[in-house]
Amino acid sequence: MKKLNDLDYLKLNKFQAFLYNLKLFFCSIPMWLKKAGLKIVEFFKNCGLGIKNEFVDIGTTFTKGNWAVKLSFFIFGFGNFFYGQILRGILFLVFEIIFFAYMFVPSGGIYWLSKANFFQTGNTVGNVQGGYVYNELYDTDVWVNGDDSVKVLLYALLTVIFIVAFIYTWRLQVKQCRICMDITAKGKKVKSGKQDLKSLVDDEFHKSLLALPVFGIAAFTVLPIIYMILIAFTSYDAAHNGYANLFTWVGLDNFNELLNFGYGGLGLAFGEILAWTLMWAFFATFTNYFLGMFVAIMINKKGIKIKKFWRTVLVMTIAIPQFVSLLYVAKLFDATGIIGKLLLNWNLLPDSMIAANQLSLWLNPVSAKILVIIINIWVGIPYIMLMATGILMNIPQDLYESSRIDGANNFQQYTKITLPYMMFVMGPYLLTSFVNNLNNFNVIYLLTQNNQLINTEIGTAGGVSVCHTDLLITWLYKMTLNSAETKYNLASVIGILVFVVVAVLSLIVYNVIPSTRNEEDYK
Amino acid sequence: MKKATDNKIRKKGLGVKAGRGIGNTAVYIGLVIITLIWLFPFFGIVLESFRVETPMQVSYLWPHKFGFDNYIRLFKETDFLRWFVNTGIMGVCTAVLQTVFVLAMSYGLSRLRFKGRKFLMNAMLVLGMFPGFLTMILIYKVFSDFHLIEQMAPLGLIIVYCASSGMGYYVSKGFFDTIPKSLDEAARVDGATRLQVFYKVILPLSKPIVIYTILMGFMAPWGDFMLASYLIHENSQGMSVAVGMFEWLSKTMVNTNYTMFCAAGVVVAIPVTTVFLLLQKYYVEGVTGGAVKG
Amino acid sequence: MASVKLTNVKKVYGKNVVAVDDFNLDIADKEFVVFVGPSGCGKSTTLRMIAGLEDITEGTVEIDGTIVNDLQPRDRDIAMVFQNYALYPHLTVFENMAFPLRLKKMPQEEVYERVTKAAEILGITEYLMRKPRALSGGQRQRVAIGRAMVRDSKVFLMDEPLSNLDAKLRNQMRAEIILLREKIDTTFIYVTHDQTEAMTLGDRIVIMKDGFIQQVGTPTEVFDMPVNLFVSEFIGAPKMNTFKTELVCEYGKYYVTPYGAKVEISGEKAKKLAEKGVYSQSIILGVRPEHITLTTSENPAAIACRIEVNEMMGSELHLHTVTENGDKLIVRVPTVTLEDDERKALHHGNTIYVTFGSKVMHFFDVDTEKNLLV
Repeated sequence: MKKLNDLDYLKLNKFQAFLYNLKLFFCSIPMWLKKAGLKIVEFFKNCGLGIKNEFVDIGTTFTKGNWAVKLSFFIFGFGNFFYGQILRGILFLVFEIIFFAYMFVPSGGIYWLSKANFFQTGNTVGNVQGGYVYNELYDTDVWVNGDDSVKVLLYALLTVIFIVAFIYTWRLQVKQCRICMDITAKGKKVKSGKQDLKSLVDDEFHKSLLALPVFGIAAFTVLPIIYMILIAFTSYDAAHNGYANLFTWVGLDNFNELLNFGYGGLGLAFGEILAWTLMWAFFATFTNYFLGMFVAIMINKKGIKIKKFWRTVLVMTIAIPQFVSLLYVAKLFDATGIIGKLLLNWNLLPDSMIAANQLSLWLNPVSAKILVIIINIWVGIPYIMLMATGILMNIPQDLYESSRIDGANNFQQYTKITLPYMMFVMGPYLLTSFVNNLNNFNVIYLLTQNNQLINTEIGTAGGVSVCHTDLLITWLYKMTLNSAETKYNLASVIGILVFVVVAVLSLIVYNVIPSTRNEEDYK
Repeated sequence: MKKATDNKIRKKGLGVKAGRGIGNTAVYIGLVIITLIWLFPFFGIVLESFRVETPMQVSYLWPHKFGFDNYIRLFKETDFLRWFVNTGIMGVCTAVLQTVFVLAMSYGLSRLRFKGRKFLMNAMLVLGMFPGFLTMILIYKVFSDFHLIEQMAPLGLIIVYCASSGMGYYVSKGFFDTIPKSLDEAARVDGATRLQVFYKVILPLSKPIVIYTILMGFMAPWGDFMLASYLIHENSQGMSVAVGMFEWLSKTMVNTNYTMFCAAGVVVAIPVTTVFLLLQKYYVEGVTGGAVKG
Repeated sequence: MASVKLTNVKKVYGKNVVAVDDFNLDIADKEFVVFVGPSGCGKSTTLRMIAGLEDITEGTVEIDGTIVNDLQPRDRDIAMVFQNYALYPHLTVFENMAFPLRLKKMPQEEVYERVTKAAEILGITEYLMRKPRALSGGQRQRVAIGRAMVRDSKVFLMDEPLSNLDAKLRNQMRAEIILLREKIDTTFIYVTHDQTEAMTLGDRIVIMKDGFIQQVGTPTEVFDMPVNLFVSEFIGAPKMNTFKTELVCEYGKYYVTPYGAKVEISGEKAKKLAEKGVYSQSIILGVRPEHITLTTSENPAAIACRIEVNEMMGSELHLHTVTENGDKLIVRVPTVTLEDDERKALHHGNTIYVTFGSKVMHFFDVDTEKNLLV
């Protein structure tokens, strides 16, 4: 499509400009795809190049290095010892010893790796099935432990991580040896252990600062997520819990089951729940966004008194634990609750609902969905109101003054200055908020759990009964809750699919925002 | 000529003022309605908690008979006190640990430049796109080996709440980003190590965000239901208030426990709300990036 | 109290953004050196490399004979004043100034003595118990200087310390810095974008552009003998008039022919031109506004130009004029010597005749823009 230059663009009237932008947007989609493709290609190219360079560098290090450097290819930290970095040397050496000890002791790394049968479809994770064996002593069948797939997979995964860490460390210490050699050749001194320790509060302060948080994330987020991704390719569920029954690698079976729209597949359930999840996230985000902003503008209007009081009233909602307020509000709308009863007595419920014996708003799919969105407004507005207040305070006052001189009235000021400014600044927040709402467990579960409204068309899916208001996150929560019907494998697949949805959304938003024409207006 | 314009201006000025007066009245009415809607549930819970004529939910607001029966029952017949203490301990521990984690992470990412910084931030962004709950599958299995579930669930939960809390660095990083970099530089030229810059210069300036982080940490266990219920199961000794009280509203128990639930809600809300309202100033500053002084 | 030596210093940001290149400079003990140049020329980056706030990509920085490339700022024994003062908002003025001393774990009596002495010199004794936010801009700047003073460091670095002040205060602080220098008596490196500050403060001025040093010299040197067109236009206000013209060499005599006028070059300049072997060629001629004088149309060296804007500065008039072929020419006329009717004639729209002697001319090569006489 032909792009207009700035002066030609300015000739368009509002409607034409809108059409033009719309066209531009759709026409640029192929370009994004191309760009994204190119970026991916470039990324892999860079990776390839990086790996190649790394190998070349290792090669030259070996050929050009002196005997100490060469020896450190096999003995970790040797070079460090040689150049007087005792502390580093000891750490490297200890790491190497631990690694080899772990790998080769009985039931060490090799043992676990050999048991895991990574991604061999049809093979079990672990190879010794526990079972009842006749025991002469007791004259009965006795349970004999076999492998526990859960543990086998975990240890195998840890071993893989350990191996990666080993390779990285090997590379690191070889590099360091080389640097030591170069520094010494220049006649300078290498860093001593004491200096190393000192630099941890100065030059290398980030290491001391980030060590703990990053370790926490690695152990409690990265590791479990990798594990979860692996689970998605196994048959781990209540029947195959790894202990009583080993679970198997099943390839893409779980994905097939979840995305299969035919008979016996969960495609329909998944599609319906995903649709409602997206719809919920959309409404929950935008109702809060606009109404919250509106309330903020009301409170911060010139001439309104006791601003702090109005604000505090709303902020109280944040203070009180959600489960108390949400559960109470949910009960209010029950047939026996105050509001529910009022609706009944005043005949405010549609006749169709009464006829179907749906005596409260919770008992009808449509009204239940609307109700969660409305109650979510009650929960969400205070946050938005606060944030919007912050932004309102930051709008430069001279904008208002100059617009008044230019002849704008209150309403025009609001539509031409306040609204665009806030929309622009809060734009990025919308994405975060949308993603949070996709996974908004609390509001949905607490509001509707006690008024289970089973979706009879779907009935049970993934071993749990699905409600009309269930989001993907509550669905998978139910699937993993410890019961006779847990489906960890399906839950993992859902998790991965949620990730895909969020990632795609984020990519689109990140790509759309910079391409809009008015990006830098308020900076 | 001049007089005419003068008059015009005066007239217009009057008009604006009057217009604003009418507009303000409308806004006041709106705000009063909003206040009523937002305060009604709290008001309702408090009234409900003093109702003694029936433990069930009723469809009228004003109790026929007031009394402390629900509160007495709460502490005498249930494990509520235990849950309350559990949650309180979790709150305090989480507040302390989470603050350390979050501040370390956000300060490091905001003020220090090092290799891998961008990678770290991107990695956390991507990790955040997975539903965090799914990490519980593995954590549950591992914790059950270490006996950190059921009765010991509070300890396990503290670890869960804190370990990955570094990923929530955004707000405090935003705050640190607003402190001029030249302060760090001046301090370093003056002879401070980076550690000294952190605790002698930046931390004293970051009181609002430190308190905000503490507050968020303290509130987390009170509001969390999903992770807690997963680790606790049905072990009454290890419950947090959210998990324990949730049971009372289940179909089988609601008819005997509804008013007690409300009483428990009041007991829970009082400390949390008090702490929150006392520190509201810092919370508001945190959320609004310092634009609104509580 | 130390010398500073920069050898082949280079700074590259990211992969290929060169901020400073080929920077060589010897700063003697107790010298006051000013780095000056337009924004983005690399002057601040150089200062920050000396301070240790930026890594040095190539080359070495020596302070007092030791290479400091790998030293932390705190190990370099330097003091620095920042453009935005960088006072610690949570500390009182006293504690702000005492901060570097506290880090050295100096005993309280000595801290007290040093801080109060510095405060006295700077005239901020009465504010010692205040927080920075209760101070005016000028007072804050004094505190920042005081914090640098108390350390008795080897080198005193100042990064545009006056640019956040208003014009009047700036002039006042400039004078104070000159006085201060006599009291502190150490090596100063001062960064500014303001040529007036550079000229009035510096023992030597380093003029930079696009990461390269253009000229190093005393204020007189850079004013009288700018090495190239950039320096000549950067130093002096209003800036030097430059225009393309022909240099004519006839029978051993040199002439320039600006706008049809013919001006003979005599004396020292002609001799130098001959020495350098410059003959007839196109040149860029530079003349400072204050060196142009009013004359009459009869003068063969007169240039006719029309006044467009007349700026009355009090002691002098700045006439922005246009020559016949549209070039701009600025003329600076002292008001003391003007009669009333002469003054009236300098009205905008009027045509005036101006001239200049050969002593004040600067000749630049058209292509290289270098001064032909250097």
